[in-house]
Amino acid sequence: MDILIIGLNHKSAEIEERETVSRKLSTFELRRSFASELLGLQDEVGRPLIKEIAVLTTCNRSEFIMDLPPWTYGKGGHIIKNCIAKYFFGDAAKENIFYMHLNEDAVRHLFSVASSLDSMIIGEPQILGQLKEAYNEACKLKTNGQFLNKLFHRAFNCAKMVRTETKIAASPVSVSYAAVELSKKIFNSLDEKKVLLLGVGEMGKLTVKHFIKYGVRNIYIVNRTKEKAHQFIEESFGVIEKKYLNVIDFSEYYKLLPQSDIVLCSTGSEDYVLKYADIVPVIKIRKQRPLFLIDISMPRNIDPEINKIPNVYLFDIDDIGKMIEDNMEIRKQEADAANKLVEAAAKEFMNWKESLNVVPVIISLRNKVKGILEIELSRYIGDKKEKDLIINSLTNKILHEPTMLIKKASANPEEISSIETIKALFNLNSEDLTETGKEKENEAVKKYIKLIK
Amino acid sequence: MLKELYLIPVVVYILSYFILLPREKKLYKLFIYLIYAGFICQSIIFFIFLGIKGLTVPVHIDRFVFFNAWILMFIVVLFSLFYKVEYILLYITPLVAVNLLIGFFVPHVHIKPVMLSTDKTILLTHIILILIGDSLFALAFIVSLIYIFQERKIKSKKNLKILGAKDVSIPEALHSGSGYNLELLDNINYQCLKIGFPFITIGIVMGIYLSSSLFKTFMIVKPIEIISLITWLIYAVLLHERVAKGLRGKKAAVFSVIGFLLILFSLSFSFYLFPVFHGLE
Repeated sequence: MDILIIGLNHKSAEIEERETVSRKLSTFELRRSFASELLGLQDEVGRPLIKEIAVLTTCNRSEFIMDLPPWTYGKGGHIIKNCIAKYFFGDAAKENIFYMHLNEDAVRHLFSVASSLDSMIIGEPQILGQLKEAYNEACKLKTNGQFLNKLFHRAFNCAKMVRTETKIAASPVSVSYAAVELSKKIFNSLDEKKVLLLGVGEMGKLTVKHFIKYGVRNIYIVNRTKEKAHQFIEESFGVIEKKYLNVIDFSEYYKLLPQSDIVLCSTGSEDYVLKYADIVPVIKIRKQRPLFLIDISMPRNIDPEINKIPNVYLFDIDDIGKMIEDNMEIRKQEADAANKLVEAAAKEFMNWKESLNVVPVIISLRNKVKGILEIELSRYIGDKKEKDLIINSLTNKILHEPTMLIKKASANPEEISSIETIKALFNLNSEDLTETGKEKENEAVKKYIKLIK
Repeated sequence: MLKELYLIPVVVYILSYFILLPREKKLYKLFIYLIYAGFICQSIIFFIFLGIKGLTVPVHIDRFVFFNAWILMFIVVLFSLFYKVEYILLYITPLVAVNLLIGFFVPHVHIKPVMLSTDKTILLTHIILILIGDSLFALAFIVSLIYIFQERKIKSKKNLKILGAKDVSIPEALHSGSGYNLELLDNINYQCLKIGFPFITIGIVMGIYLSSSLFKTFMIVKPIEIISLITWLIYAVLLHERVAKGLRGKKAAVFSVIGFLLILFSLSFSFYLFPVFHGLE
């Protein structure tokens, strides 16, 4: 029961490397096949290296969140990392761009990610949705187990707590806000400007909403499937906002490019949607009027070379993120408070995890008491149902305090001797406690979880 | 003498820059008001001169420099009020202050335009038109420099400040973000060119007329005329490219910078190196 996270993000890897990984995990099918490949990894004696796995992919990060069996500890983690690096880059030497977090570090990392503290844009709201998506996928693939379930739910709770108790998400800084601010540096007034949105997505929606708020009245939305664009408008915008939105046929967006002043690109395409050669004639037709391109997709959809064309300004997700990072002092202060919350939540989770180690002690203690009660009560009560009820009730009452003590002791190394005292007091021999088989252990854990629920 | 009067606006301008030193956002407005106050001082001095002598050709170097500084400031203040781009004052005012200081320090030398006796009105119009044109181009020059630096910042994506950032630069803070944009800077550059070009053209034509009446020949090859024509040609090409081909942005800004450097060159050339060719004794 060790938690391992291996992944890469905007801090550890360059955009090209993230693109490579993101491309190879772009569809559900690709993620499924790689997850099952990882689950198939075995050690020298043929035992699986990974018990549970979830795959998280966002614009800026790709992560594998895993629960490992006890025998994987140490060397096993490196074997997995090696395998991941080989899969994406065909070269194990690339493994240094992947970070690896184990147990408490991993929990803290996941909670920070969920609370958007590790994001390129601290406090951005999309990451929680993406994490939920990753969890849902793991459920669909049945690669999750009770451990990841608990971990993810705690992560969601932690994110919610950070959002409500700190101001991290209060200020409107996000990619969309930065996009509007940047366009104000290029254009004098946004009222007359035309915005073209390629692809539909959460980030695109937020940015369009921001543009409308700042006075843009002509917005054209293009998507490969027109129905999806209509549905996107229907679901995402209010009545007044809808007035300014127009859906354009995908085949016609080229004609609209010369008239557009701002182009937002957030398609799921794996290749460049706008290439250098596409924009050169466009800027000529525009008579050199400035053109602002925002690429908020991963992998990138607009050729970075385009930024070299005079009067064309291209910003991708990395540029915007870096810019915000440089600028937002207030957010950093709030992030400190949020980090403390994450720290506390991670500690709480680790306590829960540690308490699972004493489950065999609790189970055998309960079995012992139950056994004694069973023998003694059988003399007086014949009805099995009634007898079981009394046995359970008495066991719970008698063992409430000792159980609490054991749980507390498991979280605190200084009190660990009290567990030994309890074992000695009740004469719990090693046979009761040794986990001979995996099934026995799992059963015990399940029982315990049911109990604490 | 009245030269000491030039120091009043200079002191006001210097004072206004001291206000910026603590980088307190609240004081930025006060800075703008002080600059306007400095301009009002300049205008009062200008009208005092006008009251004493009436509208005549300035015959002293210091008056000429003062007149130049007043026209430049007048045009910049007009633009800053019309386009609401007060941050340009931040860059132009030092130029104006330096002009005023030159006016204060140069000796009160009497310059004698040769044709003063012949065609006073045309000479005065020539001077006024050229000064207005040059001031407009000076503004275009400053705006172009701002454009080039700002554009480079956006292209390279470095040191870009957005609102909410702790240390926004003074010009951006002066304008609370809006108005400090490439499109407007380019537009101001274009307007300066559109308005300044006819002034310069008529000014040069008048200059040629004066020159031909002085030297009794039409267009003899003189350095001042060649440089003036080259400058005029650069601005003519720039205007043509802008109107016909939609030249914009960085290229147009670079053109403006080159054009103005040539103007500076031709002015210093004609005044200091070959004053005779400019009809000065």
